[in-house]
Amino acid sequence: MVDDDELSRLRKSIVPEPDAGAKARALRAAMAAYDENLSSAPQGAASRPRLIRRAYALWREIMQKKLIAAPAIAGLVALPVAGFTALYLVNQQPFDFGGEGAATEPLAGKPVAVESAATDAADTIRHEEPAQAARVPMAESAAGVSRNREAFTQKLMAEPSIAPMPAPADMPMPKSENRDRLEGFETNPIHAVAEDPVSTFSIDVDTASYSFVRRSLKEGVLPDADTVRVEEMINYFPYDWKGPDAAATPFNSTVTVMPTPWNERTRLMHVAIKGYAVPTATQPKANLVFLIDVSGSMDAPDKLPLLQSAFRMLVGKLKADDTVSIVTYAGEAGVVLEPTKASDKDRILRAIDTLVPGGSTAGEAGIREAYRLARSAFVKDGVNRVMLATDGDFNVGQSDDADLKRLIEKERKSGVFLSVLGFGRGNLNDRMMQAIAQNGNGTAAYIDTLAEAEKVLVEDASSTLFPIAKDVKIQVEFNPAKVSEYRLIGYETRGLAREDFNNDRVDAGEIGSGHSVTAIYEITPKGSGAERIDSLRYGEASVDNGGVANADEYAFVKIRYKLPDGDASRLIETPVTGENEVASLDAASADQRFSVAVAAFGQKLRDEDATATFGYDAILDLAGSARGADPFGYRAEFLSLVRLASALDGAR
Amino acid sequence: MMLEDSEASDGELIQRARGGDGQAFGRLVERHYAFVHRLAYRWCGRKADAEDIAQEVCIRLGRAIRGYRGGGAFTTWLYAVTLNAARDHARKGARETARMAAYGVHALVAGQAEDEPGDPVEALWEAVRQLPDRQREAVTLVYGEGASHALAAEALGVSEATVSWHIHEAKKRLKALMRQAGEV
Repeated sequence: MVDDDELSRLRKSIVPEPDAGAKARALRAAMAAYDENLSSAPQGAASRPRLIRRAYALWREIMQKKLIAAPAIAGLVALPVAGFTALYLVNQQPFDFGGEGAATEPLAGKPVAVESAATDAADTIRHEEPAQAARVPMAESAAGVSRNREAFTQKLMAEPSIAPMPAPADMPMPKSENRDRLEGFETNPIHAVAEDPVSTFSIDVDTASYSFVRRSLKEGVLPDADTVRVEEMINYFPYDWKGPDAAATPFNSTVTVMPTPWNERTRLMHVAIKGYAVPTATQPKANLVFLIDVSGSMDAPDKLPLLQSAFRMLVGKLKADDTVSIVTYAGEAGVVLEPTKASDKDRILRAIDTLVPGGSTAGEAGIREAYRLARSAFVKDGVNRVMLATDGDFNVGQSDDADLKRLIEKERKSGVFLSVLGFGRGNLNDRMMQAIAQNGNGTAAYIDTLAEAEKVLVEDASSTLFPIAKDVKIQVEFNPAKVSEYRLIGYETRGLAREDFNNDRVDAGEIGSGHSVTAIYEITPKGSGAERIDSLRYGEASVDNGGVANADEYAFVKIRYKLPDGDASRLIETPVTGENEVASLDAASADQRFSVAVAAFGQKLRDEDATATFGYDAILDLAGSARGADPFGYRAEFLSLVRLASALDGAR
Repeated sequence: MMLEDSEASDGELIQRARGGDGQAFGRLVERHYAFVHRLAYRWCGRKADAEDIAQEVCIRLGRAIRGYRGGGAFTTWLYAVTLNAARDHARKGARETARMAAYGVHALVAGQAEDEPGDPVEALWEAVRQLPDRQREAVTLVYGEGASHALAAEALGVSEATVSWHIHEAKKRLKALMRQAGEV
């Protein structure tokens, strides 16, 4: 690490004196802006100030062109003609790095000027001449002053369509006030079955992404593509998949092949998993440790106060035998409440009410302390869980994501599970939340409203609190005789290597009591003509295994899981045959159609190719006809989000 | 009149500028031009760019001074305005820079860089300039300007804890950057 001493030398570096001419120009510009602001301030004078502003924009742009900046001119003159020809050629190149709109205006048509021209322009503007008039003198004096460089400059100027040169892709272009730390990821690519027939991933029952998207849309902003994890959006909704009959098999999977609403030549392979719902009466005792971030950054109405209300609701849901402890962290970690029976509700509620924000965030010490308390009140055969509530700032102690990950991996072995509840926005460390939850046998949820707190901690309490299986991995092998290409929708951050499937040491997601998990593949049936990848000229991987490939199977789905307290994994295998297929979308169940609509919406928000021609209105139709009973109004809310996105996203 | 202006405090000048006194505004900007230029230079490390940024800041001040309510110190606000302008400038300038760099004329055009390659402090600054924006801003304010974490937090519009975190991350990354530079 570079230490403070070294960094403090930064102050000693010599800053060159500002150029007197530059200073004078800047002061003149400041005065002009001030005067302009004055004249247009309260009265809102109609057209003239607008034109002046345009002239300003023009002028500023000129000033920012490095080519034209005064000292650069000297360098340019010295450039050999060959160099300039090269530059000219570069200008012609359609280098489009996919930048912002403003950058795609052609350079031509804007007058290219030199320093003195800009000064002239400043004068022009100070005299409040309309922009159109200002354009001409600028261009003229540009030509005049740079007479000896005329040939080159004019060539650059005269070219009618100099190619757009947007900012390169690595230029950070964040929304200005958003400091949420997110892990970027690429959309899963299309795979050719002949080359890569096996797809492996860990299940994901997190729901944080949906809440995040909802909050963003309700604030009138389309969510950043990196915040949209399609699988988390799909899994946010409760679905009525067929569950297992007995606790012995923790879950049941249903695979359905159906037409794709956004592409008539492909199909969707819909894998629906439903966890066994443990009846309330037989639910094991719970030992919960609330680890609450009370750092200064939590001092916002949608953070600590919301969190307090959320935990109050959860306490109301607990059985008398369950225990609760509270650890806070801010500056240093402290135990607010030693393990206390839920029957002593008043004491717990009083402890929650006393929390006040302040200080920085000693996340690591907090986590250690919480695990210690969880172990001290450990309930054998029960639920032992740390519930971490934070806005994601961990900056004292082991702040490195990797170190924290190792700490949590170690603690996981003690049998204590971890859930992460994210609060607030603008500072949220989504990446950290994901890392913690994924490595701590836990789930991550993002809580933005009291209603969401109610869903996560009360409605879904049993699935949030009681795991029925852990390290659940899915591996699908596609049959090249039936399927030529496939693509997994979502789960980008949950991909596993093919060999990890059989490696019990590799951690994966957990499933709670009554949880439903859905994964959807878009598959291209062989011979459908919808292939995106050309077949190989020099042969393909051969499929010669005694005729199995000829069976009427689309794919073979394998699911591996461990019981919550087990170390050895178990395997469930299901072939996907023609019997799993439904001929039309209408023949699929309402829940299946709804989950497909959510998948389409997620992909739409990520601006993916697959759904480029599938409009928001089509998503609305699909979801609207599949609303079902919707007792909590989640699906109605989804419909309103689609409408919001549609209105915000006029261009797509 | 001039004498009077040069003795007036920032607060008085701001009050008068908000009331429409152009001279007071001019005096205010002149007084702080060097401050803005210094910060801009530390941020970008090139004289011409620093001058462009400083000018842009002056223009923004001209537009915004009447709406300035003076919640904190004027210099804190200046930090924020300058860093915003610097960031915008970097974004706009990126296309030219990328093009120039690609064709090796970068050295000629950007040759006004004042840094002497042998100077370890300049090398450290160059590393700071390679940090992600937020970290670069935090380090520039805290170490370049000697601002406290609280002041930097106010200027950057984030919590103090976030500034501390950025500094922490920056130190880690700087170490890696300096090691890299040492190997070359």
